[in-house]
Amino acid sequence: MNRYLLIVFFISSLGFSQKTVTGKVVSPDSPEGVPGVSVVIKGENKGSITDLDGVYSINVTSDDSVLIFSYVGYKTTEIRVGSKSTIDVTFDVDVSNLDEVIVVGYGKQSKRNVTGSISSINMSNTAADIDISRSFAGVSGVQFNQTGRPGEVGKILIRGQNSLSGNSEPLIVLDGIIFLGSLNDINPQDIQAMEVLKDASSTAIYGSRAANGVILITSKKGTSEKPTFTINVNSALSEPSSELKLLTPERYVQRRLDWRQQSGLEANPDKILEYLSDVEGANYTNGVFNNPWKEIAQQGRTNSVDLSLSGRSDFVNYYISASHSEDQGLIFNDNLKRNTVRSNIDIKLTSFLTFGTNTSFSNRDMSGLSANLYQAYRSSPLGNYYYPDGSPTEFPVSTEQAAENPMRAALLTKNEDISNNLFSNFYAELEVPFIDGLSYRINFSPNYIWEHDYNFMRQDSYVKYNNTKARKHDEKRYNWFLENIVKYNRNIGTDHNIDLTLLYSRNHSRFESTTASAERFTPDVLGYNNLGLGASPTIASLARASDGVSYMARVNYRFMDRYLLTFTARKDGSSVFASNNKYATFPSGAIAWIASEEPFLKNIEALDLLKVRVSYGAVGNQAIDPYQSLTLSNTRKYIYGDGGSTALGVVTSSLGNDDLKWETTYTANLGLDFELFNRRLMGTVELYHSKTEDLLVRQTIPVMTGYNSILTNIGQVDNKGIEISLSSSNIITDTFSWTTNASFTYNKNEIVHLFGSDLNGDGVEDNDIANSWFIGKPISSYYDYVFDGIYQVGDSDIPQGSQPGFVRVKDLNEDGKINSDDRTVVGSGSSPKYQFGITNTFNYKNISLSFFINAMQGWEAPFNLINPLVPGRSLNQLDAGWWTPENQSNTRPSLNYSNPLGTNFYLSRNFVRIQDVTLGYDLEGPILETLRLSKLRVYINAKNLYTFTKWLGPDPENGGSYRTEQGSNDLYPLPRTIALGLNVSF
Amino acid sequence: MNTPKTLQLNTIKLMGSLLFLSLAFIGCQDDFLDEQPLSSLSADNTLVSPAGFEIYLNGLYWASRQEYGQSDNLFFITNFPGTDVGEDAGAEYFTYRNWVSYLTPITNEVNDNWNWAYSKMLPQANTIIVYGNKSGESKIWESEEQKNAVIAQARFFRGYTYNFLANLYGGVPIVDTIVAAPKFDYARASKSEVYEFAKRDLIYAAKWLPTADKVTLNGRLTRGVADHLLTEVYISLGEYDNAIESATRVIESGNYKLMTSRFGKHIDEPGDVYSDLFMVGNQNRSSGNMESLFVWQFEGFTEGGGGGDNSNNGNSSIRNLGPFLTKLSSPDGFRNVPTDELGRGVGRVRGTNYALYDIWNDPSDIRNSKYNFRREFFYNNPSSKFFGQPVAEITNAEDSLRNLYPYPRKIEGEPWNNNNGSGGITNDVYVYRLAETYLLRAEAYVRKGDFASAAADINIVRERSGAAAISMGEVNLDYILDERGRELLFEEPRRKTLIRMGKLVERVREYGLLETSRITIQDYHALWPIPQKAIDVNVGAKLEQNPGY
Repeated sequence: MNRYLLIVFFISSLGFSQKTVTGKVVSPDSPEGVPGVSVVIKGENKGSITDLDGVYSINVTSDDSVLIFSYVGYKTTEIRVGSKSTIDVTFDVDVSNLDEVIVVGYGKQSKRNVTGSISSINMSNTAADIDISRSFAGVSGVQFNQTGRPGEVGKILIRGQNSLSGNSEPLIVLDGIIFLGSLNDINPQDIQAMEVLKDASSTAIYGSRAANGVILITSKKGTSEKPTFTINVNSALSEPSSELKLLTPERYVQRRLDWRQQSGLEANPDKILEYLSDVEGANYTNGVFNNPWKEIAQQGRTNSVDLSLSGRSDFVNYYISASHSEDQGLIFNDNLKRNTVRSNIDIKLTSFLTFGTNTSFSNRDMSGLSANLYQAYRSSPLGNYYYPDGSPTEFPVSTEQAAENPMRAALLTKNEDISNNLFSNFYAELEVPFIDGLSYRINFSPNYIWEHDYNFMRQDSYVKYNNTKARKHDEKRYNWFLENIVKYNRNIGTDHNIDLTLLYSRNHSRFESTTASAERFTPDVLGYNNLGLGASPTIASLARASDGVSYMARVNYRFMDRYLLTFTARKDGSSVFASNNKYATFPSGAIAWIASEEPFLKNIEALDLLKVRVSYGAVGNQAIDPYQSLTLSNTRKYIYGDGGSTALGVVTSSLGNDDLKWETTYTANLGLDFELFNRRLMGTVELYHSKTEDLLVRQTIPVMTGYNSILTNIGQVDNKGIEISLSSSNIITDTFSWTTNASFTYNKNEIVHLFGSDLNGDGVEDNDIANSWFIGKPISSYYDYVFDGIYQVGDSDIPQGSQPGFVRVKDLNEDGKINSDDRTVVGSGSSPKYQFGITNTFNYKNISLSFFINAMQGWEAPFNLINPLVPGRSLNQLDAGWWTPENQSNTRPSLNYSNPLGTNFYLSRNFVRIQDVTLGYDLEGPILETLRLSKLRVYINAKNLYTFTKWLGPDPENGGSYRTEQGSNDLYPLPRTIALGLNVSF
Repeated sequence: MNTPKTLQLNTIKLMGSLLFLSLAFIGCQDDFLDEQPLSSLSADNTLVSPAGFEIYLNGLYWASRQEYGQSDNLFFITNFPGTDVGEDAGAEYFTYRNWVSYLTPITNEVNDNWNWAYSKMLPQANTIIVYGNKSGESKIWESEEQKNAVIAQARFFRGYTYNFLANLYGGVPIVDTIVAAPKFDYARASKSEVYEFAKRDLIYAAKWLPTADKVTLNGRLTRGVADHLLTEVYISLGEYDNAIESATRVIESGNYKLMTSRFGKHIDEPGDVYSDLFMVGNQNRSSGNMESLFVWQFEGFTEGGGGGDNSNNGNSSIRNLGPFLTKLSSPDGFRNVPTDELGRGVGRVRGTNYALYDIWNDPSDIRNSKYNFRREFFYNNPSSKFFGQPVAEITNAEDSLRNLYPYPRKIEGEPWNNNNGSGGITNDVYVYRLAETYLLRAEAYVRKGDFASAAADINIVRERSGAAAISMGEVNLDYILDERGRELLFEEPRRKTLIRMGKLVERVREYGLLETSRITIQDYHALWPIPQKAIDVNVGAKLEQNPGY
């Protein structure tokens, strides 16, 4: 083709002065040369294209000729030829949002050419985090709920909950390889970018694993020839952002008196010491008050330091880093220490062969048994936590064994809990010689995760028996992926581009664990290190393995840079499914149209970009453990006779399912991208409708079968939603700028079908009350009586079994009786209907200030801490107030409320939170050079500054489980954190 | 430069060969997706030898003990409060204080006992029965007897479980096999159908279980156990002659007799023959106890001994049935402390005045001796100057309902794992002993109208304890219940006895400890409700609720 053109040039140039201009086109991200760049002479229908090394050659007719260099993803550059015959061009990367090159799974693509729905997360704004998952807050289409607890990754949900009871966590892909470890193993400083793949067109390449969306994480590479050394230091203090309000001693005593009165017992305030336990009475008399929250608190503190060295040459690209961080949580011994190292190395052996590895190792030490929140919640405010010699008591109130000292186990137990994750990818990539655009890549990714959890409880000198015990738990996982990828990318003519990807992949996972324990150690000086010194040894071990195989093909076709087409298909086989359903195929397709490239829109000044995308496809969910299609058993032990020896028993445990198969989600997506007013306003709007069929479900079944539940496939769940993200440059001057990024997500989740049965013959498909699944309602719906206030003294309609102060519920079917037929769906929770986030960033000279407001609305949860927790006993609880005959509340029950119907209280989880505020200062100008630095930034960051909510628990975001009034382990308060940080590069 | 055509050719060649390679790869290895569990046994690979059946039987014995030990108080709350012999009287508990609000289809023990029966006992028993019957063809058994003795144990437990269910809920769904896929259309059989089903299992068990003299392991089933339970089931079915016959088989087998003289490990300590029956280590036949029929085994400091995984701290009788003595203060302000002898009771079940006082009208009855009934309490805090002095008379209802009341000393025992604060003890637990066989036969005689024989059986039991003989004119069903109260207090599952005999509502109204309990019980409380969860999940058919709920 080119040869043909040259001949034409040659002929047409006869008789004129003419010369040949040559040169090389490079860019910051392709210093070795950018291939495929279009070089044309302005005003003439003549042009050329750069070769693989970025070199071009073109004949020009005059010195006044102007060459136009253009390529997707770069700023188009015009250069007058003048007297030069060699013109080298350095491309600037185009700032356009759409022209970023992003990772799309098994490859990269210019965002302009993407047909699916993808959110990119810029990692530069999250410098203060040691937990990468927090970067998902405020991303459109992503529900992220933080827990704030060291070592815990929050809950991440992409586009609502698809699965009824299967796993809804998205697939994590780190540097192209499916990552089966914890997100907490990843050092955020090592990460360049993250992409969230949301629609079926972008996720279908991950087929059976992609139904919950895919998160692609890309680690850093070297970017400059000069080695760059970077240091990040971050130090933070934190405190609870809220405190669950427990009864104070005064309220506690009042509750005891009110309860006695309501229970028909003597309630004379002068005799309160008789009503309290001895311990409580003495403390009450002496004015001693031990706030359980204070007893278990520790100063929250985070410190991290991170070093990296990176660079590139013609043959090697390297990024090497190490980090150490310490995260001390808000309750005693809730600590994490993490060390990570990473080595990313690519070696270009020849022009067509590259070898490389991305290897990371993380070591997380969570040693130390945390104080017990559940016990702290219940402990009397008038209890004693320590003996005079400083030893912990067993029970704050010795006569109340339902509340243990929340500190005792933490103080008496030596715990070592360490987890290691070695994750590698080794690859070779061959640019097949003689066939332009064809390449082959092989990945081998071994992943070892090994962890142990050792405990030893030492002798409590205040108990008379030998209470020492020890337990050692070791576990090991080994996963590998072997992938063969063939790619072919070719321009055909000037208008056509084809990009083909083929994959054949195998994977294997193996898990094994061993647990051993013993008790009554004599002597006990060696702790858990010699279990043989203890008595009554026990041992247990587990192993499981799974295998998979995958084939994938993807075609991207581009016509005239404005019509885009993508087709993918993936076939997966997995051992975890029943023998008849090992394989499934997941196809998808998408088209996109860059309308703004059309001649009739090109002249509209205000319109920089307008792109429309449509996609449809299927993805699967295989997130179940091995052997779930089989009938399994457990072991139990018995003993015959006095002094007899242990007899092994086997008992039935789970029911198999010969038909267990893949869950499939079909998603239709309509997307619109726009850039307006010289890119002052940019945004994306997505509409989607996903339909999940054959849901993998842990279904409650009649226990008469012998089992409580079975893993099975049923029904259909729909998610419909809108996602809007906007980015606006409100004010831009030389010294000041104000930009706003906003995202809004609405998701409606609905069960469409269950069993397809209509046994009661009412013409409507039956609901499943036992599992709380209802046609037309969200997955997490609550089936209950409708709260209708509190029965008051003098009410004439109090049913037998209730009394004034008990909860009144509605007689829905108006048959004059309150029974199980009066239950209905009273609400839903687990996922908010709406969420929005707004980030405002102000820059003035070198100072930047950003603040992020996050909100989730339209969800609720059971909250039974409002119910009385046996107020006659020495147990504390939430102070939500209570009904008394003198002060007849219509929202709170009396203290002797027995909840005969087993009904729940519900609270809204809505909140608006000032989640993140960062003030930064970048040193610039000559001082930097004097200091021989390329970058120096200091910042202050505050997290979870304030939350607007009516939720009575510690925090509405992680919600927790408060189905019983007995308390919960989910009482961890969200930390409010102030951090100081420093980034230095040189 | 390539033309598009050559390029296409090259591509096709290459892709073609790759595809060929891939297909070749797939073709030859498809079996790597087959699954074999690495660490979980299944019936298919275990029930292929007598040893395999033995470990499934061990699992069944474990499940049986779970009735008693699966949680702190389930067994006790199930059987004693809200009857004529006990009440959960602590002011903060809502148990049968108000029958209408307490006993509903969502009450914990209504659900938990149902689940224990259907998810622990029946699938385990049915698995053994189904595989046992299938194994007939194979050559794994030494004899037909060996095989049938295995099946007989499973069928005993299945019969036991259906009798258990019928005695609480009335008619229930009968499940006689194992399922490969879930069912949603269970229907209730009638109460008599359930008893009939249990009867057939127990007849088989009584035929094929070995006799006690052939069984060396303590805690295993013997023929007498099956005949004993068969007697109760015959009575429930109105087959009194059969009941008398099966009870007589036990009594006259020669393998059992009522203990009439001191025996066992504590023979040198003060006591009498009735107290010997309940001393730690004396429940099993190996101690010389010839009255023992079937015993749940507990053993401290031992894996499988009834602590740890899925179990509570051993036998928690003293914790649930004993008074909350550690809440008592001496006049100088020192609380009583737990001791090895007293353990640590928390007063979940207090005997009714009927059980603690009214039925004890014979001063020579050793079952009310100081060795067998604790009626005196002392300040035992060494710091108190009142140490060793009798506890002052109770002046308030709270203390007398929860913290200080007499109790039969059979609930005391050796502290679980040497920890007297745990509330648990190590003592094994009688499921059946021969004294009850006599009382069952007496009941059958009463129902048949043979009062003389009934009185004779009752007198055998009374005589052993030194109580005066009664005349046939005094015998009726209420007397049987009184005698059961004396002999089997807190041993027999009293609620099931009362429901079985149709006496629950009547006797709670008469003997219930709390007035609120006596006046709130309704006629429909004669049976427990079917758990709401079982009804809700049975979407393929309507599982009928018992009337009134």
